[in-house]
Amino acid sequence: MIPSRFAYAAPESAEAAVALLAEDPDGGRVLGGGTWVVPELSRGDSRPRLVVDLRRAGLAGIRARAGRVHVGAMCTYADLLASDVVAQRLPLLRIMAQGVTGGRQILGQGTVGGSLVAARPSSDAPGAVVALGGEAVIACATGERRCPALELLAGAMETTLGQDEILVGFEFPAEAAGVGYVKLKRGVSSWPIATAACLIQLDEGGRWSSVSLVLGGVAPTPVEVDLGGLLGTEPDGEAISAGARLAGTAVTEPWTDELAPGEYRASVAGPVARRALELACADAIGRKAADGS
Amino acid sequence: MTESLVGAPVRKHDGDVYLTGRATFANDISLPGMVHLAIVRSPHPHARILGIDLEAASLQPGFVDALTGEQAAESVDPIPHALDPANLGGNHADVRCLALGKVVYAGEPVAAVVAATEGDARAAAGAVTVRYEPLPLVLDAEEALAEGAPLLYEEWGTNVVIGGSIGADDFDEVAQSADRVLDGELRIHRGTSAPIEPRCYLAEWNSREELLTFTGTTQNPHPLRSTLAAALRLPERQIRVVAPRQGGSFGLKMYAHPEEILVCVLARMLGRPVKWMEDRRECMLAGGREQVHRFDVAFDEDGRVRALRDRAISDHGAVAPGHGWGMAFVNALTIPTGYAIEHCHVRYTVVATNKGPWVGVRPFGKDAAALVMERVMELVADTTGLDPAEVRRRNFVPAGAFPYVTSSGLELDSGDYVGLLEQALERLDYAGARAEQAAMRGEGRYLGIGLGFELTPEGGDIPGALVGGTDTTTVKMDPSGLVTVLTGVTSPGGGNDTGIAQIVADAIGVELTSVTVVQGDSSLCPYGFGNISSRSLVAGGGAAALAAADLAERLRIVAASMLHSEPSQVAIRRGMATLADDPSKAVPVPAVAHAVYTLGYILGPGVEPSLESTRTYRPSNIRHLPDEHGRIQPFSTFPNALHAAVVEVDPETGIVELRRHVVVHDCGTIVNPGLVDGQVRGGVAMGAGAALGEELSYGATGSLLAEGFKTYLMLRASDLPPIELEHQVTPSPFSFLGAKGAGEAGFAGALSAVFNAVNDAIRPLGARLDRTPASAPNVLEAIQAAWAG
Repeated sequence: MIPSRFAYAAPESAEAAVALLAEDPDGGRVLGGGTWVVPELSRGDSRPRLVVDLRRAGLAGIRARAGRVHVGAMCTYADLLASDVVAQRLPLLRIMAQGVTGGRQILGQGTVGGSLVAARPSSDAPGAVVALGGEAVIACATGERRCPALELLAGAMETTLGQDEILVGFEFPAEAAGVGYVKLKRGVSSWPIATAACLIQLDEGGRWSSVSLVLGGVAPTPVEVDLGGLLGTEPDGEAISAGARLAGTAVTEPWTDELAPGEYRASVAGPVARRALELACADAIGRKAADGS
Repeated sequence: MTESLVGAPVRKHDGDVYLTGRATFANDISLPGMVHLAIVRSPHPHARILGIDLEAASLQPGFVDALTGEQAAESVDPIPHALDPANLGGNHADVRCLALGKVVYAGEPVAAVVAATEGDARAAAGAVTVRYEPLPLVLDAEEALAEGAPLLYEEWGTNVVIGGSIGADDFDEVAQSADRVLDGELRIHRGTSAPIEPRCYLAEWNSREELLTFTGTTQNPHPLRSTLAAALRLPERQIRVVAPRQGGSFGLKMYAHPEEILVCVLARMLGRPVKWMEDRRECMLAGGREQVHRFDVAFDEDGRVRALRDRAISDHGAVAPGHGWGMAFVNALTIPTGYAIEHCHVRYTVVATNKGPWVGVRPFGKDAAALVMERVMELVADTTGLDPAEVRRRNFVPAGAFPYVTSSGLELDSGDYVGLLEQALERLDYAGARAEQAAMRGEGRYLGIGLGFELTPEGGDIPGALVGGTDTTTVKMDPSGLVTVLTGVTSPGGGNDTGIAQIVADAIGVELTSVTVVQGDSSLCPYGFGNISSRSLVAGGGAAALAAADLAERLRIVAASMLHSEPSQVAIRRGMATLADDPSKAVPVPAVAHAVYTLGYILGPGVEPSLESTRTYRPSNIRHLPDEHGRIQPFSTFPNALHAAVVEVDPETGIVELRRHVVVHDCGTIVNPGLVDGQVRGGVAMGAGAALGEELSYGATGSLLAEGFKTYLMLRASDLPPIELEHQVTPSPFSFLGAKGAGEAGFAGALSAVFNAVNDAIRPLGARLDRTPASAPNVLEAIQAAWAG
């Protein structure tokens, strides 16, 4: 039950949505999956005059082209789980979607774009999208602009999207890599407290040739851990511990909410990162062995 | 052979109605002309109200009317206290349906707005402007006790709602001859009841008849009627209270809530039905449990506890007219639970702070008693080096000692607490679990095993209050042989109505399907106290059995005439009255019933020609006259249970995984195993949830941070291992059938066992957790403190 009255529009393209938003000086509220915005409206926390629902805007496609994979902003977690392209090219997204809290209703309702635009620190998708090197594709009055996913996020519950801009989707480089994803939460119903998403590539000699490690939940926006210094080393226990230590110190502005204080999040960042690194290394080594055989 | 319905795992007699979505809950009811109430609540935890402007709200779509505290006070009196602390030496505060002058917690009702739809009402409520002058606030009970603390009720000159002590104050004396003493502190966090269905009230004023009908989520229709009558200045006879089916209550839906009064005031004012549906955020304002305990224990090297001194400070939040503070009293009364400790002294202090008030929450203070005693047993085991199970074995009231009078004056009815322990340890394979624990520690994994005994005094009967252990039931049979039971006890959804139907069907000798149970209507049912203190089956069922026996007696007399025999020869079973010595001679119960009504002059000249009886069941072991130590005995049954939990703690993250949970439960005679198991399993889930993280936390500015199930983390099914539940049956010699009640079962022992298990797991790390919940942040903090120390 939403107390305030509002106009509702379900435009049939991103361009039309942008035009609608541009016409509304007060700023309409954009509905992705609605798992955050609808409860917010029900609580009366926001009272927009216009709600723009993107369900008919044609933004739910998943396409592989020219070595890259495009994931529409309106793809639900269930869409991600059903996609062969995601399973083969973006397994991290699949693992992330499998762990989303809330059962079938949320899997079928929540969208990956909505999660990024809600910009909630305690959320699964942002860290994974950033770790995958996702590039945000944004529809705006002048057509389209692009930016790295992390630049889409300005802070907790804050994006860099203009009032008349719509997130269309993400483009991912989707290179083969060892994948590790670890999520820490307080119970089945809990939002993520800390996530670590890790992608690792090994060179011919089995040494790290690329490492992407992104922490989610621990800070207002995802934290990219710079592991450049470890490139070229063997992915052994020592290197992994070094990576975990770097992750622990990377959280300079820990996030506090009702479920966990910042000190806790900063404390668990290292262990969570280490577990993700271990998984990613094992996966990378496994892939390499499979490629070699 | 007679197949007894009592003891059979009969399914809920109306389970199909729930399963197929046909059950009518309060919010399913819509009346012609009905309008909706929304409440303007204070955003400030402590402030003077300077002015309320309804102008903007009145321009909102669908607006009907609005009410301020000052306007309401013209026609409505303060809500009468269900248990006024002033009557027991505490302080009195007037609580009204809308705040008058000042607010004392964030969320306190300040104004009421009525509009055409629920949405319109909420939107219009959002447009009400209230000017406040914020006052200094106090959010911690111990700070509220300090000199110079802000006062919620200035006229008291203190923030103490009530204080008192139970037991003889002889700790120091006894401790001198004990081998050792230890002290400890336990901080218990704030929690709530969180039923799936929040509160919902609907009031209708019939201006022609001047009759008020209140329909809503209440556990206690008759006491609520008394409350409404007093506040609204109406005679009770002009009020009818109806409680439809409910989605759980857990104490939340006991009476004396401001909103109960508000819907009635507005319905009378507007001449239209008014409905209020609570939202989850509002529901979370009802607090409970938050306490600090500081205890001293005197014990001998053999683990026997000689004396206990406990100081409990309860963070009550604002004063409410309900029963909430009583939990602090029951907490003190329940200590030392089932342990034979002769010298216990418990001082309780109930303190007002600027938080939402305490409202009754299962298991009504008995949880803290268990937690304190179970911590004490663990600490004694720690200090003496004895096994925690052995320490309990040595301290339990022995099976042969019942009835046993505790240091607080409770007369424990029956039990075999050591028996529970042995059965639980066997089910757990305690030695095996300890071996596994040792082996896993070698691998750097931290397993913990925790025990938790619970004693839940039930059938509470508070002198002078409309909280009774007795209850009344009418049983009647119509000429077609169908039975209707009208009882003063209500069901929050747990299904005691099915249990009562089983008892009646057995007592008369008819099929279960011919029995209908009517509950929750103050005009139809005999005066009763509703569902409180796990007494519905004992009291309502006991009264039903007495009334049913009256009917059976008349049926046997008339059947004997019809069969040309003697009443003593007639047995009624499964709807047939049969002669014991000649089973070929039989007459169906409907024919007998019809004869009672129509052929009484021929077949039953000495029998009242009616098949209706109203009887009251009164437990025999309640004692309200104080004994020589000033103690009363306000509870009639004492169900108990022993829980054993196995957890694994991740020392890097503090995450606790509950791996096993064993519970052996004793509620005396079991009328319906399915219903009892449901209560125990629900209680375990609630207690384990409290142990691990369900927490009503407040921010520094006094606003509630938990406002739904993403911020109040109840356990989901997949958080729990299968609950391994077994029963022991030690019938009560005092109650009907020997039953003891199971409505509060499971919580206290699960809370204690899981909390102890977490402490057991982190002990090798040098860590100790002295506060609940054992949430990951709290557990990790304890581990880090041990490393730092």
